Amino acid sequence: MSLRSAVAHRNLLYLLTLKELRTRYRGSILGWAWSLLNPISQMIIFSIIFLKVFGGVPPRGSASGVENFPLYFLSGLLPFQFFAISVGASIGSVQGGASLIKKVAFPHEHLVLSIVFTQFVTVCIELLVLSVTFLIFGSFMFQWLIPMAALLILIAIFTTGVSLALSAANVFFHDINYLWGIVAQLLFYASPIIFVIGQVPSPFVNKWAAWTPTGAFVTASHEILYDNVFPSLARWGYIAVCGIVAFAFGAWIFNRLSPRFAEEI
Amino acid sequence: MSDHRSAGTALTVDNVTKTFRIHHERASSLKQYIAAGGRNRYEEFVALRNVSFSVDQGEAVGIIGHNGSGKSTLLKCMAKIYTPNEGRIDVHKKMAALLELGAGFHHELSGRDNVFLNASILGMGRKEIAARFDEIVEFSGLGDFIDSPVKTYSSGMYVRLAFAVAINVDPELLLIDEILAVGDVAFQKKCMEKFVDFRTQGRTLVLVTHDPYTVREFCDRAIWLDHGVVRRDGDPADVVDEYTETMLGAETTDGAESSRRGDGRIKVTRTELLVGGVPVDRFRNGDDVTIRLHWEAEQPVAKPVFSVTIASLAGATLTAPSTRDVDMVPDSLVGSGHVDVRFDAIPLVASQYVLHTEITGWGRQHVYDHVQNAQTFDVIAGDTKEIYGLVTLHPTWSGFDE
Repeated sequence: MSLRSAVAHRNLLYLLTLKELRTRYRGSILGWAWSLLNPISQMIIFSIIFLKVFGGVPPRGSASGVENFPLYFLSGLLPFQFFAISVGASIGSVQGGASLIKKVAFPHEHLVLSIVFTQFVTVCIELLVLSVTFLIFGSFMFQWLIPMAALLILIAIFTTGVSLALSAANVFFHDINYLWGIVAQLLFYASPIIFVIGQVPSPFVNKWAAWTPTGAFVTASHEILYDNVFPSLARWGYIAVCGIVAFAFGAWIFNRLSPRFAEEI
Repeated sequence: MSDHRSAGTALTVDNVTKTFRIHHERASSLKQYIAAGGRNRYEEFVALRNVSFSVDQGEAVGIIGHNGSGKSTLLKCMAKIYTPNEGRIDVHKKMAALLELGAGFHHELSGRDNVFLNASILGMGRKEIAARFDEIVEFSGLGDFIDSPVKTYSSGMYVRLAFAVAINVDPELLLIDEILAVGDVAFQKKCMEKFVDFRTQGRTLVLVTHDPYTVREFCDRAIWLDHGVVRRDGDPADVVDEYTETMLGAETTDGAESSRRGDGRIKVTRTELLVGGVPVDRFRNGDDVTIRLHWEAEQPVAKPVFSVTIASLAGATLTAPSTRDVDMVPDSLVGSGHVDVRFDAIPLVASQYVLHTEITGWGRQHVYDHVQNAQTFDVIAGDTKEIYGLVTLHPTWSGFDE
């Protein structure tokens, strides 16, 4: 679909996002609390493994002076999960919209975009909760949320690109979903979420962890939230380029394949 | 949308060809695809071949054709759901396509939320929907139920709401796929009035149907599509006559030696099998199946009794209900219409069956019209895996207790 028709259907995108948010949480306050349960339980598990099982030492935030592994873990996990959960949920979204795609003409990318938007809202809420926790357990100033918002927008662009490409491919190859589960695991352990760059003896691992796209997101998020340091321009530039390349590729492949969705699904 | 052509054209279909790939052992996973060496073997199936016509503003065009003639494919191309392989389709007016009522309804959400969602899927803006919201609710007759989740609706309520949304999208050009008969009689009347309004306002209607009577009644032009090619395009009466003649001819020569007796004062012109309101020529065991008999009588006929017989190919009668069994015998019938008999959760096992129809007088002695082998149809495995016998009696096995 053309950009023009996507814009003409922006109301649909808004309502699809609202539908995602509503059906996910069924309009309840408790529903929102449930969405926080997953990162919190992961934080508890990995904190025990890092601190007690392996006897790890929490890093010291270079400008903030915080030394707290759970906070370190969460400030890396949230942007990573935003990416991984969005892609995971998007992959089946085109297939899941089959009944609609076969019967109505509308911009198919809205099925994917609404999921990324929904996860964006979710990560923003999680981030606010995390900021309050930072206030309680360490030093934090809310102005760091401004570069964090910029970072999340760049991650969202990257996420949208990957989601568009994989959701379109999944119409033709249904096992993309399973492959993504494996890739997401790999990216999780390859990003400095449950380990600290500099504590790993191998310089190769340190480089790799900081400069894979997801590693760069996590590192930048650590710098902003945990260290209270503005990421280097090189890192900003790298993340922006990753986002633009992924988005351009994803949009290209999606637009190429979407005319065939109605007959292939 | 810009309109460079004559202001009177609503839709142009220009030399459209649409082919589908029919896959043999389609690799549906990356694993299979790589194992097959990156090849997918397929055949091309031509659904539409060089179809051209244009529809003027204010016309009501009926597109008819048998199953597999390509009429649904054409409709989906016009609705921009399918992309033609060759040729182009230009829509010059604001278009809405109703291929399925309530496509995109979300069961957890309220009727209100679904109105907004559904209308925006059909291309309306938020303000536009808000302005028409009351009208939509009024038309649907749902009242306070509009704030209940759609999953609590009866199927009638569901259809009424879906239709109310669709008709209020307010298009200049409406594409419809066999959905004129929805809801109860009162609601159908409302829908008809809306359609008549729609026509008198000079808007354009393209209707795809397998039912020639609808075309004759509603349209001022008919297009007959046959194996993906436009066979006739013109006055509905002429086109429909030729179409029905050819169809009847095709039925009698179709191998199944259909034969007829009776005085013919009232006749079954055609039979149809419907599942969920959709015509089919096969269905699954356990489906709710409706057999529809279309009848025609030139002179009034007193107290006609309709019956259908479902029989095995070997000739064993499985069931033969009649309208007299349920005291549904009108005093007199004239003109044309149809009568339906529904079988809930049909217990036939997978096989081929034949249908005979009969219209008799009240005493069942005088035969107006008896059609032997009116239709043969296939039942495919559904609820039961049984393959022997003709019907399933829903057995429950037990034993082997640990």
